[in-house]
Amino acid sequence: MTRRSIPYLFVLPAVLLFAAFKLYPILASFRLSLYKQSGGVETFAGLDNYARLLDDSLFWTALGNSAVILVVQVPLMLALATGLAVAFNSTLLKGRSLFRLGFFLPMITGLVAYGIIFSVLLNQQYGLVNWLVGSDIPWLTDPLLAKVSLGLALTWHYTGYNAVILLARLQTIPTELYDAAAVDGAGAWRAFRHVTLPGLRPALLLTTVLSTIGTLQLFDEPYVLTGGGPDNATLTIGMYLYQNAFKYFDFGYASAIAYALALLIGALGLLQFKVLGGKS
Amino acid sequence: MTSLDRRGLLRLGGALTVGAGLAACSGTGNSTDGGGAGDSRKGEITVWSWQGPAAQLKALLPEFNKAYPDIKVTVQDIGNPAIWDKITTGMAAGGSGLADVLHIGVDYLPGYVEKFPTGLADLGPLGATKHKDAFAQGLWQTVAPKGRVNALPWEANSGGFYYRADLFEQAGVDVESLQTWDEVIEAGKKLKAATGAHLLGIDKPASQPDAANFFQLLLQLQGKFYFDLDGAITLDSPEAVTALTLIKKMNDAGLVSDLSGGWSALENSIKQGTAAVLPWPTWFGGIIESLVPQEAGKWKVRLPPAVRRGGATAATVNSTHLAVAGSSKQQAAAWTFIEYVLTKPSSQVAIYRGKGIAPALMAAYEDSVFHEPSAFFSGQKKGEIFLAALKAPSPAFNYSADYARALKVVTDAQTKVLLKGADPAEVLKQAADQLAQQTGRKVVR
Repeated sequence: MTRRSIPYLFVLPAVLLFAAFKLYPILASFRLSLYKQSGGVETFAGLDNYARLLDDSLFWTALGNSAVILVVQVPLMLALATGLAVAFNSTLLKGRSLFRLGFFLPMITGLVAYGIIFSVLLNQQYGLVNWLVGSDIPWLTDPLLAKVSLGLALTWHYTGYNAVILLARLQTIPTELYDAAAVDGAGAWRAFRHVTLPGLRPALLLTTVLSTIGTLQLFDEPYVLTGGGPDNATLTIGMYLYQNAFKYFDFGYASAIAYALALLIGALGLLQFKVLGGKS
Repeated sequence: MTSLDRRGLLRLGGALTVGAGLAACSGTGNSTDGGGAGDSRKGEITVWSWQGPAAQLKALLPEFNKAYPDIKVTVQDIGNPAIWDKITTGMAAGGSGLADVLHIGVDYLPGYVEKFPTGLADLGPLGATKHKDAFAQGLWQTVAPKGRVNALPWEANSGGFYYRADLFEQAGVDVESLQTWDEVIEAGKKLKAATGAHLLGIDKPASQPDAANFFQLLLQLQGKFYFDLDGAITLDSPEAVTALTLIKKMNDAGLVSDLSGGWSALENSIKQGTAAVLPWPTWFGGIIESLVPQEAGKWKVRLPPAVRRGGATAATVNSTHLAVAGSSKQQAAAWTFIEYVLTKPSSQVAIYRGKGIAPALMAAYEDSVFHEPSAFFSGQKKGEIFLAALKAPSPAFNYSADYARALKVVTDAQTKVLLKGADPAEVLKQAADQLAQQTGRKVVR
């Protein structure tokens, strides 16, 4: 054993675990995506599964649903999180750590648990929300409202988490910059616009990328809340993948969906780095 | 704009890994761990079932162990629908982790058999074939379509029509005289006007996969299904359009309450008396009785009216079965247990007494329990009503390996009709085409 080989020895356990539980399944599922199964026999199908994707209206519906959440819910949530982060950081706010904790708490709730709580709250006939509102709004059973409800649930769960990430970054912005801005005559809004936002940029990029990944992989919430319904209004790619693998036993096709999803996430991630990345 | 720096690349790599992690969730294997017969009178076996049936299996164990003291049986209540994912995962992993005995519904059996040909043991060599004629019509073809015996029938459920006799009486309707579903709709209008109750309930946004139960019943009463016996798609047959049109008529007349939210919504609806008719199969009678025991004497049951005048009123709408995992090392002992539970009339009678689970085993029906008047159902002989259905000719229905997909497009079509007022013929045609695209099956028109 030489001095040079020791570092490799140290990383070996991690590499082995990674190879066994990440790399192997990733490669195996790629292989699977090129095969079709019928009557227990695997036949090589080339890119057939991928070609089928392009023709599959449900896949496009799922993609469309994810896009809507991405374009509407994610920006709203991040704006909200930014506002919260600024508030959390403000010396005017009393009991800051209590508020921070309060908004972060939803994050530690299990996905399924909070999904069930929302589905009970939003139940049309017996839900607390409709009881408070005093009417029977079909929160989960109307195609549009189901999307709204899903967005509400996601926002409740993830806003605090994003706010905490943003807050951490916010605290690294030197106060001198604000002092200088004030000397130059900038008001609160201009200071926010020209000091806070640029300072937050790396954290905004991180939260955007994380939210994008989360949205595209979204599964637990629609699974528990709406089952992807009504009429596929809340079907996500993650759910469609699950249905194909575990409801329809179509593992090859499900793997193709997974790879399409991974590619999409990669492409979107690249795009976001280009747009938001800036100089680092 | 700058090019990616090293750290950015690493982060992106991380993002990709997370994405591919999902890809990793969908692996499969083909080989099944070599199972074995083992000793037919000795061993330890595990049984997977759900709720009521699991409880009944547990209750049978003391008797079973008197006959077979050396077979130790553990019954696990996996829950339904959780059991299907659990079996799928086990089969995809080549049978590892599966129980020895699996309780499987007719909606999943063909799929497992087709996708995992060695996932279930062939019960023929273990001695199943001699019970071929012991079960209700059409069921042997369900469990052994090509000679290989994949499972043995347990329950055979016929389509039923449970109704609140007191409400219909209030509306001046004689339910026993209703011959067709069109007449039921007219009766439903009177009922709604007189009592305010809905005719029946449907999970309109299809929050659960079983939202199409009623549609399927109407289809099966006409002897049709989503697939024909050759496996071609018959989803937009004239019979299917008739069935969905009936549902649309009921809904447009305001006779259908919404049962979205699954089982608990159904329970609430029964407790609150939202709907007067529950077009559910045999097993459901026991559920109603346990939910609203105080309403004894207000309920009655009959077979569903025909879709067309003079048409069939009997249909075996579903069945469940016990199978032995191909990976089991105790197949002989597992078979001993299955044979004891499913082919001994006394076992089936005990199960029926416990939870009202209707046996597929015809010999069991000689017991007096099927011929006693039921106090809850206003003195009717409920057992005999459903026995008549089991004895009537029932065509075999081909659930095929793509039943889950079919169910999905059907419930979506029904949702479009119920929530958006879509045209039944049109949505069923779309559904059939979509199913064809997904499965590569032909549509028969």
